[in-house]
Amino acid sequence: MPEPAALGQAKLLWTLPFDADWVTAVCFLGSTRRLAAGNNLGQVLIWDLPEQPDAPPPLPRRRLDGHTNAISRLVATADGRWLISASYDHTIRYWDTQASPQGQETLTLNARAREEAGRRGGKVPPAVEATVNVQPATQVLRGHRDWVSDLALSRDEQLLLSGGDDGWVVLWDRPAAKEQRRWQLPAWAYAVALSPDNRQALVSERRPLVFDSSRHAGVRLWDVTSGTVQRDLSSDFKGIYISAADYSPDGKLLALGRGGEVDGFNGKVFLLDPASPGKPRELSPGHQYGITDLAFHPDGRHLASSGRDTVVRLWDTAAAKVVQEIGKPRGSQFKDWIHAIAFSADGRWLATADMAGAVQVWAFSA
Amino acid sequence: MNPFCSKREHISRRAFLKGSLCTAGGLVVANWGGLVHSPTIAADVERRGKRCILLWMNGGASQIDTFDLKPGRPTGGPFRPIATRVPGIQICEYLPRLAQHTDKLAVIRSMRTESPDHPDGIYHMHTCYKMAERTPHPEIGAMVAKYLGRIDADLPSFVRMGPTGNAGAGYLGPQYEPFSLGRDGKLSYFTTPYVDAAAEQRRGDLWRLLETEFARDHHAEPFASHRLAKERAWRLLRAKSIFDTSKDWPEVCERYGNTDFGRCCFLARKLVEAGVAFVEVGQDNYDSHADNFVCHKANMQVLDPAWSALLEDLDARGLLQDTLVIWMGEVGRTPYINNRAGRDHYIRAWTIVLAGGGIKGGQVYGATDADGKEVKDNPVSEGDLFATIYTALGINPRTKHYVGTRPVWATPEGSRPIRELLA
Amino acid sequence: MPEDRRQRPIAKTGGATEMTRLPTQLWVFTFCCAWIALPSVLWGEERPLRQRIDAEVRAAWEREQITPAGLADDAAFLRRVYLDLVGCVPSYDEVRQFLQDNDPQKRAKVIDRLLDDPRFADHQANVWDQVLFGRHPLNPEATRKRDSFKKWLSGKFTRNEPYDRWVRELLRAEEEGSELFYVQFRNQPEEATVAVSRIFLGTQLQCARCHDHPFENWTQRDFYGMAGFFVRLVVLDNGGSGNQRRYTIGEKATGEVLFTGAVKDQKPGQKGEPVKPKFLLGPVLDEPPLPAGYKEPDARTAKTLPKPPFSRKEKLAEWVTARDNPFFARAVANRVWAQFLGRGLVHPVDDLGEHNLPSHPELLQTLTDELLAHGFDLKWLIRELVNSQTYQLASTGPSTEALPRWYERARVRPLSAEELLASFRQATGYDNANPNRPDGRLPNATEEYFLIFFGEPTNGLGEFQGSLSEHLFLNNSGQVWQFVQRRKGNLADVLLSSTEPWEQRVDRLFLSILSRLPSAKERQAFVAHLNSADGKAEARVAEAIWALINSSEFRFNH
Repeated sequence: MPEPAALGQAKLLWTLPFDADWVTAVCFLGSTRRLAAGNNLGQVLIWDLPEQPDAPPPLPRRRLDGHTNAISRLVATADGRWLISASYDHTIRYWDTQASPQGQETLTLNARAREEAGRRGGKVPPAVEATVNVQPATQVLRGHRDWVSDLALSRDEQLLLSGGDDGWVVLWDRPAAKEQRRWQLPAWAYAVALSPDNRQALVSERRPLVFDSSRHAGVRLWDVTSGTVQRDLSSDFKGIYISAADYSPDGKLLALGRGGEVDGFNGKVFLLDPASPGKPRELSPGHQYGITDLAFHPDGRHLASSGRDTVVRLWDTAAAKVVQEIGKPRGSQFKDWIHAIAFSADGRWLATADMAGAVQVWAFSA
Repeated sequence: MNPFCSKREHISRRAFLKGSLCTAGGLVVANWGGLVHSPTIAADVERRGKRCILLWMNGGASQIDTFDLKPGRPTGGPFRPIATRVPGIQICEYLPRLAQHTDKLAVIRSMRTESPDHPDGIYHMHTCYKMAERTPHPEIGAMVAKYLGRIDADLPSFVRMGPTGNAGAGYLGPQYEPFSLGRDGKLSYFTTPYVDAAAEQRRGDLWRLLETEFARDHHAEPFASHRLAKERAWRLLRAKSIFDTSKDWPEVCERYGNTDFGRCCFLARKLVEAGVAFVEVGQDNYDSHADNFVCHKANMQVLDPAWSALLEDLDARGLLQDTLVIWMGEVGRTPYINNRAGRDHYIRAWTIVLAGGGIKGGQVYGATDADGKEVKDNPVSEGDLFATIYTALGINPRTKHYVGTRPVWATPEGSRPIRELLA
Repeated sequence: MPEDRRQRPIAKTGGATEMTRLPTQLWVFTFCCAWIALPSVLWGEERPLRQRIDAEVRAAWEREQITPAGLADDAAFLRRVYLDLVGCVPSYDEVRQFLQDNDPQKRAKVIDRLLDDPRFADHQANVWDQVLFGRHPLNPEATRKRDSFKKWLSGKFTRNEPYDRWVRELLRAEEEGSELFYVQFRNQPEEATVAVSRIFLGTQLQCARCHDHPFENWTQRDFYGMAGFFVRLVVLDNGGSGNQRRYTIGEKATGEVLFTGAVKDQKPGQKGEPVKPKFLLGPVLDEPPLPAGYKEPDARTAKTLPKPPFSRKEKLAEWVTARDNPFFARAVANRVWAQFLGRGLVHPVDDLGEHNLPSHPELLQTLTDELLAHGFDLKWLIRELVNSQTYQLASTGPSTEALPRWYERARVRPLSAEELLASFRQATGYDNANPNRPDGRLPNATEEYFLIFFGEPTNGLGEFQGSLSEHLFLNNSGQVWQFVQRRKGNLADVLLSSTEPWEQRVDRLFLSILSRLPSAKERQAFVAHLNSADGKAEARVAEAIWALINSSEFRFNH
């Protein structure tokens, strides 16, 4: 595991084109060098990343077929075999990344960019083509009747927690792929997170009606074993939509991120102790226009946040300070989003899902 | 109740609480003569029937995310089409209840309009004229109030709630100004007397005595108009219990959806049932330059039950055949999805839906191309739309009024009613 | 009714009050005979304008076989002329005094007095402010509050500056306060073109903006020719914020109107050809070339602009207000006539084209000639108008028209929001109970509410329509209630404090609010109402005051 100081230097290793639509989810497959990313159309690709940082950008090896709408979250087991995806198509799917493929197809990974360049009469970049193995899911969980907005896998890999725009939170027995418990919210579930001890869940709620009295924002801690509210944090987050949440590996810290279209740099990270009441700490500066994702570094001390401002910030949670900013704000009046972020298991790499149609892989120098 | 209301925000709203009021209330004041004896007004009293409800999607709803889906296209977005009661007509999955009513709907997928922004679009889609002309055109509600309003009714002929039009009665005059309710359908300011009923009666009696004395040898129309408006104000207060939905709402709130908009749609039903000629209900939140999809999903979950329950109730009560229900906003939204996950204003190809009175339901009129960027068939202008609406309501779209010496028509020159849409 | 009046001390005295006792028909007869009896050869051109007005109007009655109303009684006349000249009903004392006055010249005298009243200038400034801006001026942030402009205009009326002179200054926009007129047209020379030609020239050019005028001589080139005089105007911000923001009008030495043809034929990206400024139905402006090497300051950043070597604005101001401008004097003669007599001799007042002929062509010509002969002295013209018998006719009679075409009775017009508020204050003694605030404004945003509910009471033809909202406001608002309820020194308080019999107090109530005595029936009803108070006299008095200020008799000037 790298020393905190080493996190000060992030270097872009590769930009992996995947421009069929916005890349919305990203995750490393356990401790392997495999990377999975999903997009707005429901496509999921898997890359094998080279060990050599100066190697040419790798091409995807697999494509996981079945989802018909945006991928909202990808999680994976530590052994790197199972990838689990949540989608706006109302389903959660299990993928055995070691299964033998059903066929092969050739993709043009930068088809959109080429089409765009052609239309503008500019220089058309050469096609980036890849031949991928295609495979279907091994399991499809149909417990939601609307978009599955977020998904969390417990540390021991026994539980899955999903939340949907149908207002239901569902706790799943992960190995059995069976529903264990469910409870309903007064609005849509937005972000979900499971504490490492499997006892507590954070679920944020929203009904995004700007000018209507039935607008709703809520944040609550739930007792997972009973499906009852442990603590209602809503009064600490009045009118704030929490779009992202993550527990630190030791479970002592819960990070929340403010999402949605918010003015200025109000996309703040909040830190709180999930075990005891107290005002949340607020990290500054916030992301412009809101936060999209949060991920604790395996060292338990650092936290990455991504936002609608094309920036990833790396925070030292103890010092409540930015360690560094990864990436530059892009665009003019409105920025593209980094939709999702993921650390590799060893904490040396960071992958980002870029709305512009790419996955970036960053390495922290030793 | 504190009779003062000095908040600036209330003042700054133009046409605030301006009532729509017709010229005569023959029953109460016939002895004053004047207006009530004019033959046109007598004809007005006889007129019955047609009504109009405008469901106003403030900010501009996205056609691709509601009625003109483009699944599998880059412009399509995450919503999926569903089959409806009418084979071949598909609409958005988030309008499941409305899908059971497509036999009543005429979906115009080929609106091509001219005013791309909010104030000008709101004006244009309420008047069918451009705001920049600076002619004081009346809103559709005022026009309907004038030609379909019942002048012997206690209730105003043009009632509105929520975010709605910005033109008012224009050249038709203050009689036809809208009577505005709160966003939640509650009565607004100056509708609660500060004197008790006995005092109101006493001062009213004194006032009537003065008027009777004065009217004996003063016959100018403005005097009569003043008196009639005063009586209307009193009669409105006597009839105002209709605006109180607290008793009947629990019974229907599940069907209409427990939202402000749902409640206003329910009130709209009650009002047309009571004879109000035009009711406009605004739903906000459509201007989704960012987060278009969550925005529209949330809105449709409010819209779907409210609109459906309204159509069901009108139908069940036999009112739908005489009540035209319009669903529209000031603009459509871009096929292109911007980098805030939003859609911006779009006027080249968008959708409006008509239902009920005078309209042939169960059809889609016009079409857009594969990505929804251009109208492929049968473009419809603001003028054509209004000519269709007015024709359906039995109002001559070429009705002429004057602004000073200048003639102005209800719809611009060259507008034509779309025959295919008319029952 | 006459029987009753004789019993009241005020009505006992003679003069005009006596006249009112004559049956109306007899009065009309006398009135007409008096005119017919005067042989026209004797009149000559020395006759005062007021008599020539009456003669022209009477000639039309004869031609149209119309029976006019009789002269208004003193009370009706007094209320009318107060409202028209100073924008407010007369006070109780003023009414009493006037009704008791036996002087046969008392009407002319009160007119003279009101024309010299400081409120005359303020009221005329209000009237013209509405002509020049309306309730919804363009560029509303800058033009919503127009105190400085009204002050400027009121000064003109205080000094009785000739109309042509102050319009010239208005169009030059160099005097403090006057600039606001052009500020409303910031960056919209077309709108300035429409407004200036409509207001000062009585011509409707707006159609010609997009296409050649359908039934007039105006073409699009006439329109853009006029627009050329405004295209170089620049509104310069001179600091301040909110209502204190200040502006000046600068003029550039370059810049042309680009003409692109009929709107329907226009194509995107079309450039258009420059159009030379041209006076309406007049010559193209003779414009010298710019001095060699002239360098234009950047109007976008400049705080002030130097006068250009050649000013189009000056030329326009001179041309519009020139004595030989065929439109200018005629337009204002017609407008001022309509201000006092209701209907323009050409109606509506700002459409003097050939398709819209005057009802009394000779009269309009006479007014125009006389106004020119009197050097655009509006106060003189107004004095003649309101001294005419035509102006002083009663508002009674069978006609239902608000603005009778043949002026056979007085016109009926709603009080403006400003007049109504001033009259509420006057009639109810509001200011006796409420010492003026330093800013002279009323509490609870009363002015704003009056503008909302009484600001626009007419339709596109200028016809009054009573509105529901107006009456909900009158019935249920605290803004109206504050005039009615008892406060020390106001009308309610005076009535309640008095020990006179209710009969006399009811007389005072009517004189204060309606500027007349009650009829027998009214007196009886009001006395009965107030007598049955059961210790709730305050409420009863408030109800009575409310009923009177809500009457149509009060709502209109008639």
